[in-house]
Amino acid sequence: MIENKDFSESISQKIKEIYDKVIRGELSLLDYELVPIFNELKDSLSTSNINNYSKTYIEACNLLDTKFEELKALLNSFDEEKQFKEYLESEPSDQEILYLFNNCWIKTFDLSILSYDFIEASKERLIHEKYTPIIIEHLKKEKSNDKFILELPKHKFTEKLLEFFESVKDKLPCSFYEIFDEDLDQIVLYQQFVYILHLLQLGKIQYQAETNTLYILGD
Amino acid sequence: MIKINELSILMNLLSKKVNKYQIGSTKTQILSFLNLDPKKDNHYFQELIVQLSNYIKPLGLYIRYNPIDNHWYIGHDFITSNLLSANPFEDKPKLAATLFCVLVCCLTNTGNSKINEIKNLRNKKGIIKDLKDLEEMGYVEINEKLNEVKLTSLVGYQLDIQKLFTKLTLKLKKDKKDI
Repeated sequence: MIENKDFSESISQKIKEIYDKVIRGELSLLDYELVPIFNELKDSLSTSNINNYSKTYIEACNLLDTKFEELKALLNSFDEEKQFKEYLESEPSDQEILYLFNNCWIKTFDLSILSYDFIEASKERLIHEKYTPIIIEHLKKEKSNDKFILELPKHKFTEKLLEFFESVKDKLPCSFYEIFDEDLDQIVLYQQFVYILHLLQLGKIQYQAETNTLYILGD
Repeated sequence: MIKINELSILMNLLSKKVNKYQIGSTKTQILSFLNLDPKKDNHYFQELIVQLSNYIKPLGLYIRYNPIDNHWYIGHDFITSNLLSANPFEDKPKLAATLFCVLVCCLTNTGNSKINEIKNLRNKKGIIKDLKDLEEMGYVEINEKLNEVKLTSLVGYQLDIQKLFTKLTLKLKKDKKDI
């Protein structure tokens, strides 16, 4: 975007110059591109210069109207196909006709490299594939009066582990199942099972798989 | 916003060579391939053409319409076309002039033209040879039985007929003013 300066005067001057050339017959509006003028107006328009720009905009629109009039006149003259025949009857040179063809030739662009199978596959994807967008749902916030205080164990894990070891070492050697007291709460049972695993890792307790026996090395 | 699949399909449809005389696709074919309703999606079709046109413009490519066989196709802009020597008559002004004569006659007679009419208008020797050469190049079809000639759709792809006649009209206008 052009900085919002007031270019209305210079654009108006440009429009006036174009008009003068058209009146003098030096320029046909059909050969002149008006889009840059409108772009210049659009890009530099701001609230501060809108008053001056409205006048310039009308001038630009008048220029466009004149261009339309020229186009209308040209289209009307197209009906007069006789003119073309008359031109040919005037026997213009081959070079003159060749010159008319200048800049009228189009190099076509064909991309045979894309196969029919490819287009068919694209079509199928376009028709059948319906992508369901991922919906992100926000969790509902619920108010609660409960206090969430993380309960910390009263003793450190190692202390509790050794405490457990002291309590069971007199039972050893014994079978794996005998080490656990009967009627134990499931949570306590699980805790003790974890202690056993750690004691086995530390080598304080040994395990003989064949007899399913726990024992202390050296006993 | 144009979808990537629509873009692929459109690019393919508009740039495929159907046969010696045809490139691209008709509006009906395009709508069918894009699974669009010809009655309801007319506006969307225009939008797609404009959007694809904006995509390919930086490559010097333009979407064009051939009024002879109602096909939409892709062509290079005039600057690139000149660079690529699109003019098939660069060193053959006589052939270019005969083709121009056929164009004028066919335009006046809405399609076909009698060979005799072309001969009279052109008023040069060797017109039959020129017509045969033009037929070999794929621009005209000769019907020897009816002694007629007609333009093929290839002319509509390779030549901006409207621009050519606009140039002629402006030239005639200028010549009249000068007198």
